[in-house]
Amino acid sequence: MVIDLDKCTGCGACSVACMSENNIGVLHNETDKIRSITWMRVYQIDNGKAFPDTEVAFIPRPCMHCQGGKSGTPGQAFFQEGPMDEAAHPPCVSVCPATATDYDEDTGIVSQIPTRCIGCRYCVAACPYHARYFNWYDVPWPKGSPRALSPFVSPRMRGVVEKCTFCFQRYQAARNKAMVSGGEVGEMDYQTACTEACPSGAITFGQLQNPEHKVHKLISSDYTFRLLERLHTNPKVYYMSKREWVRKMADNYVTRHNKFAQAAAQSGH
Amino acid sequence: MQWDRRAFIKLAVGGVLGVHASPLMWKLMDDSTIWTQNWSWVPVPEDGAVAFANVVNPQTGTGAKARLVQGRVDGTRAIRVEGNPEHPLSKGGVVPQDASALQLLYNTDIRVTAPLLRDRATGRYSKLSWPEALDILAGNLAEVSKQGKPEAIMALGHDPESATGQLLLSLMAALGSPNLAFTPNAGETLALAGLAMMGQTDLGFDLANSDYVISFGTPLLENFGAPVATRKAFASWRGFPKNSGFLAQIESRASVTASQADMWLACRPGTEGALALAMCTIMIQEGLYDQAAVNASFGFKDEGDFKGFKSFLLKNYRREQVAQMAGVPLEKLVKLTLGFAKAKKAVAVCGPGNSSDPGRMYDFMAVLALNALKGNIGKPGGVLVQDPLPLKSIGSTSLRGNVRPLVDPAQGLDSNNPDALAKAAVAGKPYGIKTLLLVGGNFVFNGPQAGVMEELARKTPFVVAMTPYLDESASVADLVLPTTHWLEGWGDSTSPYGSPVACYGLHRPLIKAVPQAKDAGEVLLQVASRLGGKIAAALPYKNMEEVLTARTQAMGDFEQLAEQSFWVQAKPAYGPVKFQTPTGRFEFFSMGLFKLLSGRAGNPQNLERLVAMMGVSGGLEAAFLPHWEAPAAADDLGTGMPLLLTAVPSLRTTWGGDAITPYMVKVLPDTMLADMDKLVVEMNPQTAHELHLYDGDLIRIDSVAGSLTAKLSLFAGAAPGVVYAPVGLGHGAFGFQVEGKGMNFNRAAKVTTDPMSGLPVWELTAVSVEKVQG
Repeated sequence: MVIDLDKCTGCGACSVACMSENNIGVLHNETDKIRSITWMRVYQIDNGKAFPDTEVAFIPRPCMHCQGGKSGTPGQAFFQEGPMDEAAHPPCVSVCPATATDYDEDTGIVSQIPTRCIGCRYCVAACPYHARYFNWYDVPWPKGSPRALSPFVSPRMRGVVEKCTFCFQRYQAARNKAMVSGGEVGEMDYQTACTEACPSGAITFGQLQNPEHKVHKLISSDYTFRLLERLHTNPKVYYMSKREWVRKMADNYVTRHNKFAQAAAQSGH
Repeated sequence: MQWDRRAFIKLAVGGVLGVHASPLMWKLMDDSTIWTQNWSWVPVPEDGAVAFANVVNPQTGTGAKARLVQGRVDGTRAIRVEGNPEHPLSKGGVVPQDASALQLLYNTDIRVTAPLLRDRATGRYSKLSWPEALDILAGNLAEVSKQGKPEAIMALGHDPESATGQLLLSLMAALGSPNLAFTPNAGETLALAGLAMMGQTDLGFDLANSDYVISFGTPLLENFGAPVATRKAFASWRGFPKNSGFLAQIESRASVTASQADMWLACRPGTEGALALAMCTIMIQEGLYDQAAVNASFGFKDEGDFKGFKSFLLKNYRREQVAQMAGVPLEKLVKLTLGFAKAKKAVAVCGPGNSSDPGRMYDFMAVLALNALKGNIGKPGGVLVQDPLPLKSIGSTSLRGNVRPLVDPAQGLDSNNPDALAKAAVAGKPYGIKTLLLVGGNFVFNGPQAGVMEELARKTPFVVAMTPYLDESASVADLVLPTTHWLEGWGDSTSPYGSPVACYGLHRPLIKAVPQAKDAGEVLLQVASRLGGKIAAALPYKNMEEVLTARTQAMGDFEQLAEQSFWVQAKPAYGPVKFQTPTGRFEFFSMGLFKLLSGRAGNPQNLERLVAMMGVSGGLEAAFLPHWEAPAAADDLGTGMPLLLTAVPSLRTTWGGDAITPYMVKVLPDTMLADMDKLVVEMNPQTAHELHLYDGDLIRIDSVAGSLTAKLSLFAGAAPGVVYAPVGLGHGAFGFQVEGKGMNFNRAAKVTTDPMSGLPVWELTAVSVEKVQG
């Protein structure tokens, strides 16, 4: 996934579309953002300058679907790699004692199986992006409102962790369709709810390794970056912005010249 | 066998071993595991075949698709509202209000499920049948009319262009009452400005094809026209790797639009119109305007007794003077103007204010004048005139009658001012009202001055609310009639604000969440038929389907249209615009306005008096030319109210139509709602420092209209001396997920009347701020 922050207007459509796709509930008090469940959360940042030079930008943050760090060549550290070696794990997967979350080599999606979750919240603590949420409460569904729930995603119970799945149910549907028709899952056959909803088309979704897909071209741009890159989580969500201060805020500002050098330094080379 | 210790132990151990050997224990453990996961309070949505149906959200103008699941037990239900990629303007995107619409549809706690009669003394509702409810309503209207005072019936509706709005107009015309108003919107201001200068009312901005866009104080990316269509245009300017369009935002706060713009010209609030005029001055002085377009226009140079636009500008709107007054750097203003003048396809945009108010007419005229100097009218990427929508009239088109309305129509050009109507009715001057019909729009919450609307409802002997929800208006009504949500009933919507092409949206019943709900239009038809005689003859339809079929007969097959759900003008009308002004040319000096007001005044002395009475500053010289009026709030600043209050627009909140939804509340950032549902307002750190306020302080904001209590958030991007508050929060209804979240901006906003348009405006309010606790 690539998110163009210069197109994002922070309207929240991605977040709301995600909630309606994935049966997310609304609690009595949603101002407590630690307990409020938003798989796709839109953060606001500003450039810290005084009036009238202030500027704000928005960072929509789904689950990063980290592949995990891996020692390797700088080029690999920056882009997609081959299968993981033993040292490489997404931060959340390696701590889960119940195998409720796993990394899928085929799709690159970090799964989450709520019914397997024992609610220990190690993964919540391990995730550097705050992308995982614990169900502290049962959802108080207002009378009649369960009629709007999607049958393709199970509503979760209290006491388990949940997070963005890149709308895995949509992948399953697309895969089934492709199986029946004998074809392959095409780029536009599988799109997440947030990508579809975004009114400015800021989100692009596809296979990062497939040269035919738009995202593959986008990530090679100089304006592309990932969040907290130095943690070596190797996320699959890329951001792009032509604004330097926005890129710097991502905590791993890399210029064209030292792009590879810095990546090498981060990998300990 | 003897019962001794050994025998007991044998039996116990044998028993334990036996139970372990049997499947009983494992079975019980398994059952208990299943039982613990069988959470009766976690819903299990029923599966079924999936179908899609087209629909246009009348609230946002978004072309959408409802995803329907056809379950065997639960029947057909809608599970999502998604974008419709085939809609030519919204092309598949949605905004939060679209994506969360089902939360208001499927919530029986907040829906009106049957006609209700409220006992004023106890506040308790009792359920009625539809025939009973219609009898009560028709009986009341007949009685008031019989007393010879039909003007004592007042109605407030939501969308005047919709079929429901047209039916309400026909009903009021047939009843003989002129006291009707609708939710005010910027489209009316643009239509009036267009009429004054171009003789055209349906104007739009060709944003998608423009390469240089200047927005004058309107929240282009937060609340402008059809939000999805505007974003599609914006996205088209943000090319990769190079931007293809330039966007400049002129406003006082580092808003989303200002931040996403290539240039933000931070001005003092309310001075945007003056800057448009200063830009005209610069273009004239530098000789950078379109000579051909200006030569073909009227009123640019002095003509006879009339002072022309050019000499008026050069005298009154010198660049240094305006830049200083607006607090912007002159060189930046000049740079922006030169860029605009030299760009191939530039357009200047005006629109609703940050508070969703309809905007000020002279500001709109200034922006149109700037576009005319650029010579972009009727050209790609400029100001366009939409083709008229091919809709047939379904009843009366005006309220003209012999009865004097509550508000003198001579006060302004447009009589659509619910605020002025309400204030006059509350004061009982020139007369009071007996019956109030609230047809959508939730005026008691939205106001625009919410306190006045509530007072009006409480003072009026009989109040009827036609609404899908148990909202604030329903809570003060005597008779509450359940109307349909747009996904379960017939209805339509017309072109959103500023759209370059005419568009029409239709919605039809896709599901039935509340079986008792009727389309608001159908309720009006049934009331009319009960009243009989002339009134029944004025609304001769059976139901909304029949109304819409009649209305859209020029758009082709009705069933096909209903399935498609939209009609959009095939291509923008590029080419010379037919100016329907008295001179037949573009009028910098509005001859149309001059003739209209001269007619009203009768003679030249009276004209001067009339213009002064309307509140136009600058006298006769300025009245018919685009000019800048200081905002009314500026006059209040000296009276112990040292700060200005204005709104923070956002697509995560709403104003005017349906309420904010639970998901929208959920995604509100800490800078709008925080700490157990407290409203958050923004202020510049320097201003806070001067007032001895700190980040996180709880403050009270007082205006003459009311007060707000809020948490203070210091934001460097806020202009000094201004308090910025979000709109559309603080509902007193809509269930635990929405109720009591924040406070209502429209409780504190002071509403005034725009001197020329006569529409209500509430962009700026003078306030004082006091610390409650820190």
